[in-house]
Amino acid sequence: MSANPLRRFPGTGLAAFAFFAFLYAPVIVLIALSFNSGRSSTLWEGFTLDWYGVVLDNPDILRAAKNSLIVGVISTVVSTVLATIAAIGLDRARFRGQNAVNSVIALPLVVPEIVTAVATLIFFLSIGLKLGLGTVILAHVIFCIPFAYLPIRARLEGMPVAYREAAADLYANEWQTFRRVTLPLLWPGVIAGGMLAFITSLDDFVITYFVAGPGASTLPIYIFASLRMGVTPEVNAISSLMLVVSIVFVSISAWIGRRSS
Amino acid sequence: MSLNLMKGVAGFALAAATLMGVPLSADARELVLYNWSDYTPPELLKRFTAETGIAITLDLYDSNENMLAKLKAGGSGYDVVVPSDYMVKIMADEGMLIDVGVNKMENFKYVEGPLKAPYFDPERKYTAPYMYGTTSFSYDTGAIQGLEASWKEFFEPRPELKGKIAVLNDQVEVINNALRYLGLPLCNENPADMKKVQELLLKQKPFVALYNSDGTHERLAAKEVVMHMQWNGAAHRAKQTLPTIDYVYAKEGISLWADNFAVPVGAKNIEEAKIFINWMMDPKNIAEASNFTGYMGAIPAAAPYLDDSLKTDPAVVPPEGADKLFIMAPPCGVKAKELMDKVWTNVRK
Repeated sequence: MSANPLRRFPGTGLAAFAFFAFLYAPVIVLIALSFNSGRSSTLWEGFTLDWYGVVLDNPDILRAAKNSLIVGVISTVVSTVLATIAAIGLDRARFRGQNAVNSVIALPLVVPEIVTAVATLIFFLSIGLKLGLGTVILAHVIFCIPFAYLPIRARLEGMPVAYREAAADLYANEWQTFRRVTLPLLWPGVIAGGMLAFITSLDDFVITYFVAGPGASTLPIYIFASLRMGVTPEVNAISSLMLVVSIVFVSISAWIGRRSS
Repeated sequence: MSLNLMKGVAGFALAAATLMGVPLSADARELVLYNWSDYTPPELLKRFTAETGIAITLDLYDSNENMLAKLKAGGSGYDVVVPSDYMVKIMADEGMLIDVGVNKMENFKYVEGPLKAPYFDPERKYTAPYMYGTTSFSYDTGAIQGLEASWKEFFEPRPELKGKIAVLNDQVEVINNALRYLGLPLCNENPADMKKVQELLLKQKPFVALYNSDGTHERLAAKEVVMHMQWNGAAHRAKQTLPTIDYVYAKEGISLWADNFAVPVGAKNIEEAKIFINWMMDPKNIAEASNFTGYMGAIPAAAPYLDDSLKTDPAVVPPEGADKLFIMAPPCGVKAKELMDKVWTNVRK
């Protein structure tokens, strides 16, 4: 493959550098200020590891982080599985109402988040479901499905039908075709969809705020409620820890992906 | 089975288990506390668990209205909430509080002063006093000197303060104090009066850097603004970083507010809630809370346990006679609220 012609376009290098700087500079500042010896999250005063100690000593922020991770992992796994099934089902299907199904899957992307949040809350209350961590997970699974669905669908459409036809020619049934041809080829899309779902779930505030019950606070809710009293570097410390955990999680899933493909 | 399918099955199993709410252990006594953020020292709660064996789960909120909305939207399961004065009245009138008989509790004997029988709970049946404070404004004496102890310096600032004032993003506080400055009655239903308030606030607007209630003490200590409308505890905390901060007891009168512990309807651990509320009225424990938050409790017997920095700070322990300036504002009727909403919308847009 020839070199990317875009590289020869003047200014791309600078634009790319500026883009990544704009994206990552705040994260670097966040991590750097978690070592701040002063109480402010914005004014640097000196180096210390104390804030990590404060975080590990604070059961409430740890519970919020744990809830975020539990909700994130469970909703990622469930929504990615459902999205994979949906993508494969809708790929070759030609049934009535197909467009409607497509639109319904994409609905959480199009509808304003506050509408989804209020509607979900009203629904849970009307069926008598008690608010708690379970309702948060349920709500997250629902709105993470389209985020997982899109990359998988894209990958599926880019996959030549020839492979699956070849498998059928070789006497493989549907299940074997899926397991040994479709899924390995689809795997990068599944990983991408899973990562997108995980990030969306971890990041979500509005829907979680509405459907969380007692003891089910996630990290964004905890941080939002803490804003009133001023943000200390404790928040920077927990954010850095969450960043490390997320990077580890994503790396593991990418490594698993490379192994099985 | 393929890895993906195994993960899927594991995920479903985990989800099912969590949804069914598998309890930690059968006998653990627990309490769910719904509180303002940064309002109870973590060490105090740990000591409570150590002394009573009751585990505390702490959830946070940042305003009375959010707490009320959460409770009304089916958020049952909170055992103790911390509403402010006017919110107690609203919740009690709607039947949302359980009568736990605070006045019969053992440590109630330590409660003295005007907060023993406040307007929102005269017999102290539903609520126990926690912290009380005042809302006024503070400024950096290092940046500007010779200011009068009056709301005039805040609502009609000197020219050098242009763009250096921060106002609380709190409709009720700002409008109430504006009414006090103009000498007009609170819960005002007269459109002409409220128009005057609106004009005052609009004239102040060019001097205002931002309307924000978050991180007030940080903003002042970082010298981002010179003058900030503030609660006295936040002023105390700002002073720890920047000693030249002065909290002003405006002569026209300032807001007095009081937070309280209450048990909402729908609480599951009512006995544990009662134990907690009683425990928090012990002088040593309330003193520890005061030392942390910078506010005072309603328990005089706590005085010997307070930090020196609190005792010597006029923002926390008001000077002689200053308490004549404290005015607690009851919730207003619908017509007054509508006028306040209109004024605030016009000022903030």
